[in-house]
Amino acid sequence: MLRRELALVLRARVTWFSGAAAALLVGHGFVLAIDLFTAGSRSVAASALMSREFDPLLGVVRPTLGGLYLALSLFGPLLGARCLAVEKDRRTFHTLVLATGSVPRLVARKWLSGCAGVLLPWAAAVGLLLLWRALGGHLQVRETIAALTGYLLYGLFATSLGVAAAAFTRGFAQAATTALLAVALTWAIDASEGFSALAWLGGAAAWSPTTYLRAFEQGIFDIGACGWFCGATIGTLVLACVGCRFDLRGGRRGIAVGLGVVVLIVASASMRAVPGAWDLTESARRSLPPAAAAELRQLPGTMEIVANLDREDSRRRQLESDLLAKLRLARPDLRVRWPPDERNAPGAFSQDEAYGRIVIRLGERSLETTSTSRRELTTLIFQLAGKALPDWSQPEYPGYPLVVEGRSRQLVLVACYLVLPLTFVVLGLLLTSTRRKTR
Amino acid sequence: MTKTRPSGLELRGLTVLRGGRRVLHKVSVGVRPGETVVVVGPNGAGKTTLLEATIGAVPLAAGDVAVDGERLRGLAPRARAFHFLAAEGEPPSEVRVATLLDRGRRVDPQVAVDIETRLGLTALRDAPAGTLSRGERRRMLLYEALVSAKPYLILDEPTGVFDPLQLVGMISLFRECAGRGTGLLLSVHQMSDAEALASRILILGAGRVLACDTIEGLRIRAGVMPAASLQEVFLALLREEPRAPA
Repeated sequence: MLRRELALVLRARVTWFSGAAAALLVGHGFVLAIDLFTAGSRSVAASALMSREFDPLLGVVRPTLGGLYLALSLFGPLLGARCLAVEKDRRTFHTLVLATGSVPRLVARKWLSGCAGVLLPWAAAVGLLLLWRALGGHLQVRETIAALTGYLLYGLFATSLGVAAAAFTRGFAQAATTALLAVALTWAIDASEGFSALAWLGGAAAWSPTTYLRAFEQGIFDIGACGWFCGATIGTLVLACVGCRFDLRGGRRGIAVGLGVVVLIVASASMRAVPGAWDLTESARRSLPPAAAAELRQLPGTMEIVANLDREDSRRRQLESDLLAKLRLARPDLRVRWPPDERNAPGAFSQDEAYGRIVIRLGERSLETTSTSRRELTTLIFQLAGKALPDWSQPEYPGYPLVVEGRSRQLVLVACYLVLPLTFVVLGLLLTSTRRKTR
Repeated sequence: MTKTRPSGLELRGLTVLRGGRRVLHKVSVGVRPGETVVVVGPNGAGKTTLLEATIGAVPLAAGDVAVDGERLRGLAPRARAFHFLAAEGEPPSEVRVATLLDRGRRVDPQVAVDIETRLGLTALRDAPAGTLSRGERRRMLLYEALVSAKPYLILDEPTGVFDPLQLVGMISLFRECAGRGTGLLLSVHQMSDAEALASRILILGAGRVLACDTIEGLRIRAGVMPAASLQEVFLALLREEPRAPA
């Protein structure tokens, strides 16, 4: 039966043409990243100190994956929806459900076949990163795999959204619209991040895939983020199973949908709570200095940071990326509170005299500061524990600037805008050839 | 005296409402293993609704469906009992005939090979469904039904697209299928098809059972000549039946 489902996806032109469009999006992100990286690299050719800032993970891999994110967000739900909706459009849905005999099995097959289509844009991103390597660019394998894993998980989740949408709707048009609306909802949640007026949406950030992709993009393998994607995918597929149960009507269907939503919430919430994250980056550059991180793990008591900083305050973003993300790697139990998010009247908090203060609590003791410096805040944490700041030295990340110009750049342009999309188109045409063969 | 369990498929007082309108009203009929019951009726009589209600795709306002005396609840017993084919069902155009044939051979290879040959699908093995004619695509779906080994086939207008020659072959395949003990509940538009296929004929009019009997029984009921065609019987029964209120 899986063979039939795979044929439905891989022998469909829409799969390969959307793969080609996705390859263009990914390729465009790659070209922009390379141009920016090249421009920067030219200016640091003479300075070893500045070259340390040239991190291909952030400068090339992440922007390329940005294109992949857009491609997966648009085409993942469509391909997932098509797998199931096509049966409704062609009036074979009931036949298939009865023939399969098990709705979970049917949904699993549909989802797996949809995932096969979603692998195309992902494969395009992998191909372009290999091209970067071939051009002499640096790629650290572990951190790149971590980033790609995050996007693979996102692709699987996006496909499950499409399958679930198709399960509850009458045909492909309705399913595609519903699935894309669900994706747009996560974008609305993401958009709220930088606006204090939308602070009330803060809790919803826990339901946006972007929240969990961030760790992977940084080269961190976060079990909780991985768990969220798995839980959300499983929960969405459970909902899809409910949608496919055509024998459930009225109240029973309502109860089943309610239970499906509970499964979705419980599965994703409980799995994202699984602690554990590994910094897979070269020179462990997303972590605090090794000695400090090791000591932090040993400190007794619960750790909490209360930061009186608004969403629109750049210090908040600096604090989040410079300290909190690193602190969480050492102390997964770290609790962070942002009091301005808890206020009903956005903006009013900036008038408060407490604004800008950062309170650090370790067990029963606490200290206050207005500094957002990583070193200073870490020093305060150790001060609370009655210890001195451990050795602050960190393995040096050399940085890998690279200038891609001339023929190399032309090669990149041809690969991104021509070869890669055309490969998908040609493969698609070959595999979906409708020449009638008889014997 | 020992009580024997009723055998076969039973539709008991099926009533279906759609938008407040009663499209099926207390329809009861049984299909024994090996029997072919053909549902006929004018457009809008409720033939498709009856078949969809049988597999659970349409909510019932009243009545139930039972197999061997056991009321069917949930999807699993329905999946064990039925293979369903919708009237406008089309195989996905990307799927090749071979994919279907290989799957069909897993159940009973001997029967499957015989059916695929007689349906003329062997020669189309490498063709994707999208390149086939409507009749060939329909034969793909009927192949799935005939090799499914399910106890009951619920087929909505399975013969509508065939030429007379193919129809003869198709009718013979349905008869053999019934001969293997499969119960068939079919809806057809052509009275000649119904006459050729049916053990019993269920005539629906405005969602109600006008008659359900063998062709001979229907002739007596309609008071027509013993040699009258089903078409004549059908028209006579429709004329005598007052229009049911909506």
